[in-house]
Amino acid sequence: MTKELTYLNYLKQDRLPHQWCPGCGNGIILKLSCLAMEKLNFPKKGTVMVSGIGCSGRSAGFFDLDSVHTAHGRALPVAEGIKLANEELNVMVISGDGDLFGIGGNHLLHASRRNTDITVICISNAIYGMTGGQCSPTTEISSKTLTTPRGNVDTPVNVQAIVTAHNCFYARSTTYHFNHAMKCIFEALQHKGFSFVEIKSQCITNDGRRRGFKNSYEMLMSYKENYKINNSTNELEHNEIGIIK
Amino acid sequence: MTKRLLQGNQAIALAAVKAGLDFFAGYPITPASEILHELVNQKTIKVLQMEDEIASINTIIGASLAGAKSMTATSGPGFSLMQESIGHAHMMEVPLVIVNVQRVGPSTGMPTFPAQGDILQCKYGSHGDYFPIVFYPNSVAELYEYTFNAFNAAEESLSPVIILSDSYVGHLYETIEEADYPISKRTLAPLGTSNRHFTGLTHEGSIPETSDPEVHKKLMKHFKTKQKKVSRKYKGYEYIENKSSDILLIAYGALSRAAYDLKEDFAIYRPVRIFPIVEKLRDIAKKYKEIVVMEMNAGQYVNEVEGLLHRQVKRISIMGGKIDLNEISTKLRRIKKKK
Repeated sequence: MTKELTYLNYLKQDRLPHQWCPGCGNGIILKLSCLAMEKLNFPKKGTVMVSGIGCSGRSAGFFDLDSVHTAHGRALPVAEGIKLANEELNVMVISGDGDLFGIGGNHLLHASRRNTDITVICISNAIYGMTGGQCSPTTEISSKTLTTPRGNVDTPVNVQAIVTAHNCFYARSTTYHFNHAMKCIFEALQHKGFSFVEIKSQCITNDGRRRGFKNSYEMLMSYKENYKINNSTNELEHNEIGIIK
Repeated sequence: MTKRLLQGNQAIALAAVKAGLDFFAGYPITPASEILHELVNQKTIKVLQMEDEIASINTIIGASLAGAKSMTATSGPGFSLMQESIGHAHMMEVPLVIVNVQRVGPSTGMPTFPAQGDILQCKYGSHGDYFPIVFYPNSVAELYEYTFNAFNAAEESLSPVIILSDSYVGHLYETIEEADYPISKRTLAPLGTSNRHFTGLTHEGSIPETSDPEVHKKLMKHFKTKQKKVSRKYKGYEYIENKSSDILLIAYGALSRAAYDLKEDFAIYRPVRIFPIVEKLRDIAKKYKEIVVMEMNAGQYVNEVEGLLHRQVKRISIMGGKIDLNEISTKLRRIKKKK
């Protein structure tokens, strides 16, 4: 007997399969979000999904909810407007690292400062995937991308520091650590106030293959090797994943 | 009806509340800040001071979609920052009211001096094609009335409507009657009630469609038809006929107030609905040999007027924010002589 995939009810099934590349982490995060919402029994009416621009920006359109696909970098202020205009709504944002930390970085600073009661899920793949693979604010030092052919020289943005500086919920996970990532989203959705979940995700098409990975499986395995779960700390090391409330 | 002494900016704020404003987000800027100052004291609405104008407009886009009648107010520099999201709001069909109290630009320019340099930015500021409705009142009473019109037009057209003002009209104090005007109800269902997808991508209903030119053409036609239909209700213009003159002087906003002093010598036409341009002007212009557009910029609306009339139109530019009747008269005399 096959188990009914009830989490799929949160998606517009006539729009599936999605258009992301084979091996992309976005689909994993779409599923994680649905599972967390299902676990919390979120009503479809009363929940709003907001996204920015980029591959991750297309996420919102797949949910069987009212959703808004905003201009580049502007997912947070739009989500804040929705929440503040109708505080009854559950407002979630799914967007990428370029969108949230690069072009929309200022809004992250202020949305966390205002502690607006929204949950942000960041698909953090350290690359501008949709535009072909340019360096992003989370690209590691010395990493090679289209715009850093000799290796990135800039320090990646410290999201944890920005979010926790305002005493907001911050969690980090990866697409490999499926159950852990779901726990992060599950707890973030229950948090009253601004909550931010950064999920390290793989882009094989425009990042991994240029860095010597043969497929996205290898990228997922690198998350397994590089990240250790630590759920009892106030500050995560760069190779740790966990939740800071 | 009560009579009250009000400042232009204050009139916009108070009229907005009466017209059903629920949500305001803005960023301080001279000469528009008084709107924010007035609104924070209103107990029936939500007001946010944001980190910048980009956040302001995006927050009201979110709020409006969530069911709140929303507005922001700014001046030229902030209006420039909002441009991308104005196009976005047109694409997603979000009713909004945006007030732009103009000052001398470009850039920081002369913050306290009036100008009319943002006329074309209203129509062409965002990338791509869109069809805005823009009003430019020239008195406190008219600002009050047209704030109602702007809210109604926004709801009817499901698009951002712009109220232009300038630091002169915005800071002007006049006694007005606080009349009640009809209010259009919201037709757009708020977020959280369905499974719609609002997107800035070309779309057909809730489905993004980025490779079918026909879908895009259909969408643009829909926007244009909508603007035409709704703007028909708001035919604002003022025409002072002068049978002894063969020159029609066109002016709007702060500068049109100075033009009134010239009505003995010239016929005067003042558009209040700046965009879409009022077509009645075609009939009026036929009676005059010479058309002169006088504006506080290097020549913006004059091109729109020429486009409508298909004839050459003379231009007078008043630059630097100072309105001097002597300067205007000298320039007009020069045009008369050349004729």
